Parts: sequence; structure tokens; C-alpha cells
Amino acid sequence: MRSTSGSADPSRRCRVVAATALLWLAAAAATRLQAQTSVAALALRFGAMTAVTGLEQAMTDSLLALLPGAARDRVGNVTLTLGRGAPRRLAACPLDEVGYVVGAVTPEGYLLLRRVGTHVPYPLFDQQLEGHRVTVFGTRGPVPGVVAVKSVHLTRGRSTPGAIDPVFALDNAYVDVGATAAAGARALGIDVLAPVALTKQPLLYGDRLLAVRGGGRRAACAALAAAALTQPRVRGTVVVAFTVQSLYAQDGAVASVQALLGPFEETKIVTLPARYPDTAVETVALREAEALERQLVAWLEGR
Amino acid sequence: MSRVRALAAGGLVAFMLAAAPATPLTGQDPARIADAQLVLAPLIEAYGVSGAEGPVRETVRRLLPAWAHAETDTAGNLWVRIGRGDPVVVFVAHLDEIGFRVAAVRDDGSLELEPRGGFFAALFEAQPALVHGERGDVPGVLLPRDSGFTRHTPPPLRVDVGAGARAAALALGVGPGATVTMPKQYVRLAGTRATGRACDDRVGDAALVLALRHLDRAALRHEVIFIWSVREEIGLEGAAVAARALGTTPKRVHAIDTFVTADSPLELPNFAVAPLGLGPVARALDNSSITPPAYVDSLVALARARGIPLQVGTTNGGNDGSMFARYGVVDVAIGWPMRYSHSPAELIDLKDVASLAELIQAAAEAW
Repeated sequence: MRSTSGSADPSRRCRVVAATALLWLAAAAATRLQAQTSVAALALRFGAMTAVTGLEQAMTDSLLALLPGAARDRVGNVTLTLGRGAPRRLAACPLDEVGYVVGAVTPEGYLLLRRVGTHVPYPLFDQQLEGHRVTVFGTRGPVPGVVAVKSVHLTRGRSTPGAIDPVFALDNAYVDVGATAAAGARALGIDVLAPVALTKQPLLYGDRLLAVRGGGRRAACAALAAAALTQPRVRGTVVVAFTVQSLYAQDGAVASVQALLGPFEETKIVTLPARYPDTAVETVALREAEALERQLVAWLEGR
Repeated sequence: MSRVRALAAGGLVAFMLAAAPATPLTGQDPARIADAQLVLAPLIEAYGVSGAEGPVRETVRRLLPAWAHAETDTAGNLWVRIGRGDPVVVFVAHLDEIGFRVAAVRDDGSLELEPRGGFFAALFEAQPALVHGERGDVPGVLLPRDSGFTRHTPPPLRVDVGAGARAAALALGVGPGATVTMPKQYVRLAGTRATGRACDDRVGDAALVLALRHLDRAALRHEVIFIWSVREEIGLEGAAVAARALGTTPKRVHAIDTFVTADSPLELPNFAVAPLGLGPVARALDNSSITPPAYVDSLVALARARGIPLQVGTTNGGNDGSMFARYGVVDVAIGWPMRYSHSPAELIDLKDVASLAELIQAAAEAW
């Protein structure tokens, strides 16, 4: 006896299965996209990026790819205009960081450094370079290196108890990329003005704490980007700006956004509190970044 | 290389042997260099603070040739014996690395640390941490100081794992006795240079493995013992156990350990000048041992005969072979040049690793 329940049409069954699969794939893709644009994911992603003040292009390229409709202004700020009409408001997040550029290449192939960015509240900022990995952003891509440090074995017998114990000076920061001559360093695409920073390795610990140099700024920018990506119903016009060169020239970047796209009736600078600021383990709580995203969505919608 | 057994050392002895090789330098061979990297990288990325070398020992076991029968002694040293008869020759490289041990847990959940081995504490301050606890690795941060910013050296370091309270930290299995390091990676630099924390003495470990892989066992005319030792950085403790077990039986011991080089922009060139990439180094004089000149000459002749580049020099530090000296065993220490010792940025040349392995093989087979 034939069953009368359900469909006996094989082609219809195939269509149903295909449609179900498509729906499932679309849902999975949306979930994946949502996961990739969550505050936590963006904070980790931004935290791993390097944007030495004035030399932020790699990070701003990434932001342009992330934010449909965003544009780069003549200064280098990335802006995204949401909504239309009045009032006109600005939400800005500085994305740059204190870092270094190559100041000179020695005949032996070592790189010497010059700090970029004027605001260094942590007194041992430069000492954190000593004996650690750095990334040099050459014209042929990132180049790994290390900053020279005295071998502890060879200091034996060369200091006396109670001798002065000076902090590491930037003038002693020789970057060793493995080159044995200046030509070898240049062959890697490295020359004067190439950006240099401690190699970023974001670390999650404790109850969703994120530790990485510049973590506070990057998590704040992640919250702003995530808020913009929620497609909020903006009241009036809001310009979302990720600004560059905030650590140089008296924060001229926000002023330049105001000059180029303003005037604005209200300006909100997006920040997050961080523990151990300006260290390699600057720590932010992802929970606070998520709360900031919710606050920003409400602000964008004028609530 | 240990700083613990320090004696005064000095004098400029380092010089290069410019003898033309009898055969092509296989240590320069890209295949040998690639082979060296394949063995070295996982060893560098294994964690093993003195007294907690288990992960490194297991990595060595995994990398050994299938025929090698490895045994672990009561101290934790790993042994491979091959061949029979006299003279017995020992090669020893240490498994452990510098780091910290948790000494106490504070009420706020932060971990007080004590150093294991000698190093500049400032290199670990305000850096990511890994606590190797009873239930696996727990990430955290080595806390930055909050005062005393005019000194290079920080106050005693602590780790915050984000626990917030003593009980919560203990529940994570990171109580007293757990070891602490920083996350690390093997990274290839330009040319044949590479970096990674604990090159000292994972390069030595790798060289022993590579030598064993290439060794012509049929050609051995005597017993050769390979030992991967423990707790070198805190006083050559594992080597002391091995030396006591062997007593007067061995004729020679070759400590295979770092030659800390002054080939660096920050070092004085008074001694220890062994350039990277120019081959292994006969560590003829350090703070723990002096190789009799006739043995240095024999090693030089062997290297020359095999076409292996060799430098001869003096540096600072102690070596495992010195623990055998009290039993009348001659310590012919061999190293390779390394910059930036006991830092997260230790830097080597893979050509030296490949050549070092060849020299060990030659010393086992033909000396």
C-alpha cells in the first residue's frame, strides 16, 4: 500500500532540501559575520594591529574594508557618515599609538630607532623594547626582529654591588633582523622611516580580560565600529571617525574632522578605561567594551 | 648555560680556525639547515623551567630516531646509550630553561614569584605570562611596577591571572610550586638567523638529536652516551646525578651548551668574540671548566679533517660537563655562538646548529 502522507515528488523534495540548506547556510554565514564583527572579535583583531602615529595606513585600510561606505580623508582619518539632516554629531575614536620609526641603519645591518608620538605617560615605555621581539613594517611587508640586550652572562664581574642601575635608553635600542650588513636590511624593504613596534600578541586571561599594548584604545574603537555595524536608526547625522595622529600635534586629527566635515553640535570622544596603560599588558575588560557598544548604539540613535 | 657556578674568567682567546676544509661544508647545506630548523623549532616552543622539564623531555623523545632506546633516570635526565666498549664518551645538553616558580599566593589572587636561574628581571616585567599549573597552562600578566621608575631592575615580580582572590587562584591550579614563563615562539629571521627564548640549551638538545639521526652506528668503536639533563640553570643538578652514576667510567664528556658571544652591538669585545654563522665553538675556558689544550687541539684536528668550521674561545658561564671533572673525566665543552643570552630575544644562526650536529657526530664516530 502506498503511503499518502508527505510528498512523493522527488524533485519537490530536492527543492525543499536545497532551500533548507540555503537558509541554513545563510543563517550560518550571518552568525559567522556577527561573530566576526562582535566587539570581542573586533577588539582582538584591532588589538593585533599596529598603527604608529602618523603611519596608520595599514590599519585604516582594514577599517575601510570593514565599514561599507567609509572613506579616508586627506589627513588619513576614516570616516563613516550615518543618517542625514540635523542635528549633526561626531563620534570619534583615536586609533594610533606611540611607536617608533627606523632612524638609521648601521653598516652592520642593525636598525636604530626614533620614537614617534609625544604622549608617553609610562616612564619605562622604551625599556619594554629591550630584549623583545619587534615588527618592522618595511616596503616588502612586515619583518620580524629583536631588540638587542646585554647577555646576562657577560655582565658577570663587570659591575659592583650598589652600582647605579640605569633604565634602558632608546639610544641603545639596536634592532637585529638577522641582516649582516646595511644592504641586507635594505633588501628586506627596510630603510629610514619604516615603522617599528613591539610585536603585538593579544592575550585573553581571567574573566575575559584582554591584554595588549594599546588595548584600551583598540577596544574602544572596536566598540564604535561594532555599534556602527549594527545599522542603528540614527537621529540626524552622525559622523563616525577613527582618527589618526592623535598623539602628535595636539590631537589635530579630531580638529581636522571637525574642520572638514563639521560643524557638529556634539562631539563624543570614545574611550575605555584600562589597567597598566602604555605597557605591553595594557588590560581592558571585554565586558566593559560590550557595555560601551550598547551605550554608543543608544547615543547614535539619540536615545 | 648556568650562571650559578660562577668563577672569574677572562682573557681573550677567541680566534677562528681558517683552515681550508677537506670536504664541502655540509653545515651550509640548505637541506641540513631545514632539517635543523624542523628539530629545533618544537624544542624551543616547549616549556620547561628548571625542575619542570617534562614537556621538553617528551619533545626530545618524539624527535629521536625510532631505533633509539631512551630511558629516564630518577633525576629526570633522559639517556640514550649506543655502542660498546671503551673509551666511554658522554655528550650532555640540558633540557631546562630559566623562568620562575610560584612562591606564594596573595589574598588578592596575585602570585609571588621566585626566579629559577639568572636573568634580568626587567625583561619579564609587564609582559604576558603563562603559569604552568596542575591543570594546564593558565595565562596572566607579569605586573608592572608602580614605583621606582628610575631603576632598571623591578621589585620582585608578581603575576595576575585575573583570579581576584586567593581561593580562586588556587582553584585554577596555580599554587606554590607551579612554574611561570612567558609565551614564546620560534621565529625565523633574515638569512639563516632565528630567534626564540630558550635557544639555551634547546640548540644543544636539537644538535644531539640531529647527530643521533645521522650517526653511523656500525662505525662506532666504543660506547657513546647521550644525556639530556635537568636543572642545569639552578646548579647543574641533573648532570651531578649523571656524573655520580657513571663515576670514573667515561674518558671524556662533551657539554653541548651555549657559547655566549660578544658578537653584539652592546658587548665589550674583550673576550667571547665568536661571530654568528662561522661555526660551533670549542668552549675552551669558562667559569666552570678548562679543557686541556691537547684536547682542544684534537677537537680542532677532527673538525678540520671533517671540513667542519670551528671557532675556539672563552666565555662566561658554567657547563654540565664540569660536574664530571671530579671523577677524572675530561670536559671538552662545545658550544655555538648565541647573542642576548637568557632573554626573550636569544638569537642564533642555523648554520651553526647544523655544523654543531656534524661535529658531535664526528666526535662520537671518529675520536
